Amino acid sequence: MCLFFALPLALTYVWSFFERTMFWMKPGFTLFSYHNFFTSARLENFLASMGHSSISVIVAFIFGFPIAVFIRRRIPQVAQHRVILLFILPFAVSEIIRIFALRPFLQRNGLVNNILLELGVISEPITAILYTPMGVIIGEVLSFLPFIVFAGFLAMEAVPKYVFEICEDLGASQYRVFVDVILPLAAPGIFAGSVFIFVNGLGVALLPNILGGPGAVNAGLIATQAITALDFPLAMAVNAIMMTTLLGLLYIGHKLFDLTKILSPMS
Amino acid sequence: MQDDYSSLWGYRLKWLYTLLVVFTLMAPVFYVMYISFNENGFGARDYVFTLDWYVVIFSDLLLLESFLNTLVLATITVVVVVPMGLVAAKHYKITRYPLAVVSLMLSPLFVPADILGSALLVFFKNLNKTFTLLGESFSVNWFDNWFDLGYFSAIVGLIIYTLPYVFVVILITMARYKDQQTEAARSCGATAWQAFWHVEFPQIRAGIFSACSFTIILTFNEYTRTSLLKGGYDTFTSVLVSQMLNEGMSEQSYAMSAMVSYIAIAIIGSIILLTLVRSERLEQVARAKADPMGAT
Repeated sequence: MCLFFALPLALTYVWSFFERTMFWMKPGFTLFSYHNFFTSARLENFLASMGHSSISVIVAFIFGFPIAVFIRRRIPQVAQHRVILLFILPFAVSEIIRIFALRPFLQRNGLVNNILLELGVISEPITAILYTPMGVIIGEVLSFLPFIVFAGFLAMEAVPKYVFEICEDLGASQYRVFVDVILPLAAPGIFAGSVFIFVNGLGVALLPNILGGPGAVNAGLIATQAITALDFPLAMAVNAIMMTTLLGLLYIGHKLFDLTKILSPMS
Repeated sequence: MQDDYSSLWGYRLKWLYTLLVVFTLMAPVFYVMYISFNENGFGARDYVFTLDWYVVIFSDLLLLESFLNTLVLATITVVVVVPMGLVAAKHYKITRYPLAVVSLMLSPLFVPADILGSALLVFFKNLNKTFTLLGESFSVNWFDNWFDLGYFSAIVGLIIYTLPYVFVVILITMARYKDQQTEAARSCGATAWQAFWHVEFPQIRAGIFSACSFTIILTFNEYTRTSLLKGGYDTFTSVLVSQMLNEGMSEQSYAMSAMVSYIAIAIIGSIILLTLVRSERLEQVARAKADPMGAT
């Protein structure tokens, strides 16, 4: 893990300062790749993909986290892990197939439009879903939503059930329990799940490539395109920016919520 | 506060919502399966059931070759990664720094495929150049091409990708195992290997089997890291993606996607079912022990 995971990722910072040659790169110290990134449309695309990923995180939280709360609070203890297993099923199918499958599902003559037309909800097929930022956001939510369920459940598992019983005995409303008890206690899990979705939304090139149409780019796609163009220092600079974003987020999260709490059920 | 058990409809609605979310996550895949049986393909007015598209994919030599390549990758990855995951999980249970171990083991989950894949690609290219230079300095060509992109680099990428999953699955299974059993076996004169093989392994066998299955599925499903690190040959997903990107979603693509999905769902579904049956049986045993007279 140290040799083939930590070392290559650490070396991306070194390689990002190398000079580009015709087909490779040579040792040196230049900020050209960073200048190239920050003064081109790549930065704009990167920031736009950050915005899309943030929306995906919020949507995944709204739809996914209540499930984690429901499983932890209302399902009998012995059956909780069985219900969580249901969310592993989508992961059995390749991410590529799940992303590609959204094309016939969402496109102009796809299933969603056909059903809405049949029901009379719309009179014209909706064309603003696929090959737009909305398509990318839908793809991100459908690809990564289970992670907010897993991480939320893991964080909730560390909370003793009697805490909820005390709240109920004291007559706290559902809203007060959620805001004052569940959210603070599950914050490490919510944060970890959110970082996972955010970073993968930025880094999985297939999502904008397949669902976003022309112009949709994220950091992963910028890095892949740079490698295709044999601009390895630029690809490494993008990787370094991504790694810095990830490490920065994890550091902030750890300072705010103590992320080690999420691992306590595994200890 | 109103309890869900007193409001049965609220409880049922929450269950319905949970199942609806799972179904929504799977719906696009189910739709692909549905289209794969249509003789007229996607978007046709008339649906005519056929198995022809599956016959086509089984007679595609490029696809069969890529399937074999992926099978080789999956087999080697399983052989390497499962013992690694087992050793890591055993180390985790005795280490004084469990947080460091678990953080290192799970951190690949947080690094997107394209980022890790491209970092490994440049790493291997640099290793290759360094070793070639080393060989040149000794005037031998023995070091050349050790780290060329190919099976080795692809397997390294797959190991880094699958190891966190294998580690977690084995760790969860090992949580039920009591270390005192190993101590008892050792005090009866068993060697460390005998204690593991005859006492511990039978109890964590289900986890090992699940880890093997997960690794095979993840290897067959993986595209990004493998496509960056595999070198010149094709894998199942690389053929699928190049076909989809170059020709669009053809009827054959639907059948290929559906076929891979059937196999993966069947394997994971079987594991889930086996897990449910096993835990139910364990509960029955526990209940029988707690209440041997069957009074309740």
